[in-house]
Amino acid sequence: MQSAVQWALLGLVIERPSYGYELAQRFETAYAGMLHLSGVSYVYTALDTLQRRGLIAEIPGTRSGRQPKPRYRATTDGVDSYKERLTEQIQEDFRRSRLFARQLAVFAHEPEMALEVIERYGVACLEEASQAAIPTPAPHPGDPGSGLAARLISEESRLAMEAKLPWVEYARREFKALADGRDAPR
Amino acid sequence: MSLLELEHISKRYGRGLNEHVVLHDASLEVEAGEMVAIWGRRRSGRSTLLRIAAGVETPDSGVVRLGGRDLSARHCELLGESIGYCRKTFHPNEGRVVLDHLVVGQLARGVAPSTATNRAWEALERADAGSCAKLKPTELDGGEAVRVAIARAIALQPKLLLVDEPTIGVDLLARDAILLLLRSLTGEGMAVLTSTGESTGLSGARALTLSDGELHGRPTRELAPVLPLRRRSA
Repeated sequence: MQSAVQWALLGLVIERPSYGYELAQRFETAYAGMLHLSGVSYVYTALDTLQRRGLIAEIPGTRSGRQPKPRYRATTDGVDSYKERLTEQIQEDFRRSRLFARQLAVFAHEPEMALEVIERYGVACLEEASQAAIPTPAPHPGDPGSGLAARLISEESRLAMEAKLPWVEYARREFKALADGRDAPR
Repeated sequence: MSLLELEHISKRYGRGLNEHVVLHDASLEVEAGEMVAIWGRRRSGRSTLLRIAAGVETPDSGVVRLGGRDLSARHCELLGESIGYCRKTFHPNEGRVVLDHLVVGQLARGVAPSTATNRAWEALERADAGSCAKLKPTELDGGEAVRVAIARAIALQPKLLLVDEPTIGVDLLARDAILLLLRSLTGEGMAVLTSTGESTGLSGARALTLSDGELHGRPTRELAPVLPLRRRSA
């Protein structure tokens, strides 16, 4: 399963059993600015896919009534697959960082070009660091999960920057030294 | 016109082989009601930049203006009136308990004792440090010491607050509360300029880095954050 939206929907079902429309609303709140949902109808398509793959199951008795709202819960397979997916994402992050460094190194003979890229990368990091929300102690008193998510997102973003900013400084020094035709200061 | 303008500031320490360029042609503007944070490693010059912005240290070259006026010409009267430089040290001869430390600075500037006491209480409450008023500075923990230091600075009702390392030595939960406090001060029209060695200190601020004496990032609020890559001529 490649769709990030489908994995995110599976995560929401793991967090709390829900029906289609409710999931669409929770998705907009939980993943605002991170993932885009093309429309509510996509949620039903995704739920169908997740169910066919055995990752979620309909809760018996929730389809009855005048306006049936079948609710879904995650299966054991669904939870296991979700955990596996999270781990894979971490590895993907590492791979991307290595790839970026390797691709930047192609400018070893044109350090001025690398410095332009580093400058842009540095500014992007600063913008990200600026936008990292400062979590308030209890943003949603009735929903401890959302408060926890806000704190985890904020801290992850800020600590990632704790590594990136010194890296930008290091890379800038290396390429400046190349541009000046000298060894980088260690 | 920006509230604070640092224009082509350079500063070096030492001479000859020991020469260390701390700031090289650094320019920065801070607007009223804006929070700006400078990230840098130890000995990067971030504290020097703040001291120069406060007027307590003079640059080798360049100009610092506050409200359009050259700080070097009148820094003594400006410091304390328009600029609040947040010191985290408490000298014993300035008072026994925290409240004394907030009052004494105001008395030195001619504020009447009753007014100074009222302002001290208001500032402590504003910084969520009212419970520290009767404590000795040595009894404060890391987060409380920062809050009290901020309260002491804002009791002087500055337009610009300068805080060197507001979150160093502060535990995680207290750290976020301090950042929220600083940010909330900008909502009252105060400009806040901080330095930090932790990227967490950049949250909610216009962020710049200081590296090898050079400032990187947006030197003014208006400047576009990302410049397009230039096409190099062959």
